[in-house]
Amino acid sequence: MARKLIAVLGALVVLSMVLTACATPTPETIVETVIETVEVEVEKTVEVEVPVEVEVEKPVEVIVEVTPEPVDRQGAWLDTVIISEEPSSDSAVTRIEVGDIDVYAYSIAEPDIADRIFASDNVAYETSYGSYNEITFNPVLEFEDGSLNPFGVPAIREAMNWLIDRDYIAQEICGGLARPRFVPINFASTDMAVLADVVAGIELTYAYNPEKAAEVITAEMEALGAEMVDGIWQYNGEPVEIIGLIRTEDERLAIGDYVSNVLEDIGFTVTRDYKTSAEASPCWISSDPVGGCFNFYTGGWVSTAISRDEATNFQFFYTPDGLPFPLWAAYTPTDEFYALSTDLANSAFASMDERQDMMATALDMAMKDSVRIWLKDDTGVAPHKTNVTLASDLSGSIYGSQIWGQTMKFTDQVGGSLNLAMPSIMTEPWNPIAGTNWVYDMMPIRGTQGRAVVPDPFTGLNLPMRLAKAEVVIETGLPVVQSLDWATLEFADEIVVPDDAWADWDAESQTFITAGERFTETTTAKSKVVMYYEDDFFDTAKWHDGSPYTIGDFVMFMIMAFDQAKEASPVYDEAQVPNFNSFMAAFKGWRIVSEDPFVLEYYTDAYQLDAENNVTNFRAAHPSDYGNGSEAPWHTVEIGWLTEANGEAAFSSDKADALDVEWMSYIAGPTLDILKAKLDEAQEANLIPYEPTLGKYITAEEATSRYANLQEWFRRYGHFWVGSGPFYLQKAFPVEGTLILQHYDDYPDMASRWDGYSGAPIPVVTVDGPGDVAIGDEATFDIFVDLNDEPYPSDDISMVKYLVFDATGQLVFTGDAEAAGDGYYQAVLSAELTGKLEAGSNQLAAIAVSKRALIPVIETLDFVTK
Amino acid sequence: MNDAALDEVKAAPTKKPAAALSAVNRILRYSLVRIVMLFITVVIVIYLCVLVANMGGYVDEIRRGSIREEVSVAIFADQSPDIKGLTSAQKKELIEGRVALEVKRLGLDKPFIIRSFIFLKDAMTLNLGFAEQMVSDSGSKSVKLILLERLPPTLVLWGAANLLLFFLTLFIGLYLSRRYGSLLDRITLALAPTSSAPGWFYGLFLILIFAAVLKVLPFGGMVDAPPPESKLMYALSLGKHLILPVSAVIIANVFLGAYNQRTFFLIYSQEDYVEMAKAKGLTDREIERKYVLRPTLPTIITQFALTIITLWTGAPILETIFNWPGLGRALYRAIGLYDTPVIVGSQVIYAYLLAFTVFLLDFIYALVDPRVRVGAGGRKA
Repeated sequence: MARKLIAVLGALVVLSMVLTACATPTPETIVETVIETVEVEVEKTVEVEVPVEVEVEKPVEVIVEVTPEPVDRQGAWLDTVIISEEPSSDSAVTRIEVGDIDVYAYSIAEPDIADRIFASDNVAYETSYGSYNEITFNPVLEFEDGSLNPFGVPAIREAMNWLIDRDYIAQEICGGLARPRFVPINFASTDMAVLADVVAGIELTYAYNPEKAAEVITAEMEALGAEMVDGIWQYNGEPVEIIGLIRTEDERLAIGDYVSNVLEDIGFTVTRDYKTSAEASPCWISSDPVGGCFNFYTGGWVSTAISRDEATNFQFFYTPDGLPFPLWAAYTPTDEFYALSTDLANSAFASMDERQDMMATALDMAMKDSVRIWLKDDTGVAPHKTNVTLASDLSGSIYGSQIWGQTMKFTDQVGGSLNLAMPSIMTEPWNPIAGTNWVYDMMPIRGTQGRAVVPDPFTGLNLPMRLAKAEVVIETGLPVVQSLDWATLEFADEIVVPDDAWADWDAESQTFITAGERFTETTTAKSKVVMYYEDDFFDTAKWHDGSPYTIGDFVMFMIMAFDQAKEASPVYDEAQVPNFNSFMAAFKGWRIVSEDPFVLEYYTDAYQLDAENNVTNFRAAHPSDYGNGSEAPWHTVEIGWLTEANGEAAFSSDKADALDVEWMSYIAGPTLDILKAKLDEAQEANLIPYEPTLGKYITAEEATSRYANLQEWFRRYGHFWVGSGPFYLQKAFPVEGTLILQHYDDYPDMASRWDGYSGAPIPVVTVDGPGDVAIGDEATFDIFVDLNDEPYPSDDISMVKYLVFDATGQLVFTGDAEAAGDGYYQAVLSAELTGKLEAGSNQLAAIAVSKRALIPVIETLDFVTK
Repeated sequence: MNDAALDEVKAAPTKKPAAALSAVNRILRYSLVRIVMLFITVVIVIYLCVLVANMGGYVDEIRRGSIREEVSVAIFADQSPDIKGLTSAQKKELIEGRVALEVKRLGLDKPFIIRSFIFLKDAMTLNLGFAEQMVSDSGSKSVKLILLERLPPTLVLWGAANLLLFFLTLFIGLYLSRRYGSLLDRITLALAPTSSAPGWFYGLFLILIFAAVLKVLPFGGMVDAPPPESKLMYALSLGKHLILPVSAVIIANVFLGAYNQRTFFLIYSQEDYVEMAKAKGLTDREIERKYVLRPTLPTIITQFALTIITLWTGAPILETIFNWPGLGRALYRAIGLYDTPVIVGSQVIYAYLLAFTVFLLDFIYALVDPRVRVGAGGRKA
């Protein structure tokens, strides 16, 4: 009896576990707790008004209805963003499904978890294309122990393109969360959009063809003196061993095994060396490739922003000039490829058309060289509740978005409190000069910060945020183009740097060195950018502690760009020197043209191909580009400066280690007390930093007011993180792993300003046309380009091309589709063209690229020629 | 280990001043020898820890490779015109400069053997210094703060779980030993193999049942987000978040623990002197207290002491499942980053705690067991 009872009990336990595991969490009922924010008047001791908010938690049952959005809301759409830590993607998706969190800011690449997201009615998601994988080959033909490395032969490396089934990797290993990649340019990039037809041709040429791969490899191996014995390649009587250095952290484990398998299938003896990133790096990046510690390595790269220029990739990935490490030193591209890569990297072309031709040639050469072969572009998904919209970066996902704070909102209410989770937060100390640069930290940081310009999350082109306009002047002959109208582009034969431009810094006298002093003769620059801040900028822009933005904030930023790299400075930091030297190699000068409205000129030899991207936050001297892209007013920088100058803590990790002191954090930890003491000192002495220079821009009254504001800020919030973005940091709970961001009422923009960026406008392409085409007859195919079931405006389409592949799979024709109305294009195959086609099944591929979202969209249609 | 150092005595010592002085001398001598031995043990253990944490110096190679990779990727990914516009030679110079600085920062420009003794010296003097990669939750690089900030959450979770588990298994074991062969005893016996699955395994089911499906308890974390302002609400929130992880630990261990304790007590319950006590007609309570619990007290105290100091290590997977900011996760991360100061710092504190506990237990045994005398016996001829 007892035994039966125990057996039943055991069975029940097991059954309950199984049933629980199978249970689907039910979605939440639509009842939410809303945190209402109440404004409370507080007596102030300083002139500058500080908005004070006291948060009152008040549970309210809200029947969620879609209500019309009012357009008069200032600042962010949300009242509060509560950011917490959730290391598990799986758990995060479940929590979104049941309404425990609203957004999970992480790019999920695990197919099983993504499938749950796709299948759920309660979870929406944002897609991004930032990371990609390749196989890096060791290019040395013979290792020091005399063993043969087949990948020392370019033809064998090239043949690996045919041997690897990229569709298998994308569909089976990655579960569809990737797309096959053949070339060294990113999927989300300007170049992919422009060269989509060229890339399509390459994809066809190097499509999976194991027989062809085996044929080439056999011929090359035999030419090397190897022989096949019992299905195994042997060289000098020994099996030809391939060491695969396989990363274990992600899908590269399966990819490495797959590549090993296909190599074994064609007769190689493969040793699989499984290693983590850290374990693998001494081998592939540090050791001399002649040592032969690996033959192939499963490499991976990531891009956190949409790339506007991929021309340097050839030099970086294929030539000895790429990196100063032994593997790169072993690269031996052909002279033509090396010269072309160098020219592309140095922008040695006269026009964008010429560049495009050079890129197309380089792509072809890269495939023949193949010191690395490209496998896939990942598609990451970042989940959120269906009633949330936001601007997610096509490359950097939600956490890489520069304007998430301005755009994130509930579709069914204005305001409200949003729960956002990330795999990690407060990973490293926050300080504006050389603090954290972790993506998980940068997302909340960006929410608290203003900018002069921000990159478009879908195109990577800079957009003005606090600038009214900009003028870009480029030396005649340099290939720069303009796309948007806020930045004008002009060319000049000579751009002279004015003598009174600030070109360097004297740390001892704490004054700028002018161009006239730095350069012995009149100097010129390759580019000049004139940046015009909004006319009412100084009236509308305010820091979170209530201090108005002043010109002192800009000049302090300019000084800090130099001072830390000067040995005479009390805040000299050796770690800043390499970057500073690189910067000074091109920098020619800053010049303040007008103080109010604030107009600034920047002279440099460095330039980008897009006029808009020559206007940067750094060049605009906007104090949002300190260190890793953090914004700070001069008075918070000053207290950190005093701390570092006194050797009590340091802005950078390097200097902190060198001095054996703490790395400065403005939001928590032991350095807060030090910073507070420095604030007291600064307030008591009413310090003006770098007085010989800033004394002209900062008055004693301003200093008094600012220090008082900061004291009040610290008293209220307990930290020194002051920005000017749509949210301010209300509180950080480091151990609990929680941050609270609150709506900043004085943010100058209306909430609706960035509404057009809630969702990437990636077009949907459909192709229609005759299924049968008579050889020698003209045939017309319709190409429809839509967005949200509406025709895509033709003005927003940068190109619609079509490619025709014949019955043998060869690309026989490429053409531009003719516009026949908004979102409607036609591909007309002439009688002459169809006359060249053999009888059989052919394919027409239509490629559309929007100006508003740099993702090429390809759709195909099969037709039969008779 | 303690048995070797302790001797049983057959008769109580005569209380004379000379004998008392002798006892003090004996205890002092014993303590000194014991401290020296434990210190040497700790030194050896810590140096081994330094060697293991650095893979005998190979970690230096790993770090150099990682630095190169990280710097290269950072430069490659930098989209600013000032970096994109650099020539190849300028980029190489920049990369080499940054790599050299990082190598210097981590001290990789000095031989490992020298640094290994610096690690040892710092560890032994409890100068835990600064971490190489990690920072504490509040952003400090101080190893002391990295560990101390995680100590309270660890003590709360593992203190609650282990103490509850310890006393639960103790009393259940005692109870079952009295009811050997009963239905409850057989159920416990049958469920003992469930302890082969770790706590985090049960944690997953508990999260699914109580957080995802029933929605009565949180998925994880230490407190609600945002953390409540008032201390009372904070404590209540903490308690709510403790329920699932503590339950997971208890479910995973309680049956086997109770089974072990029950068997342990059963062995003592069958001693002749217990049978004699039964024959004398003593009550069960008296027998349990005086004849079963008393002689097992040193073992129970040892278990308890070791349970307490084991709190220091935490449990990385369970803490990760429940998103608990414990020491286990911190140590796991330190190992992943090859952050030697944090690894060594954590281990040196554990080693000191263990040594101190072992030292202390010798005296506690003498207090709770009249058969034991500290330092008696000395060297055997």
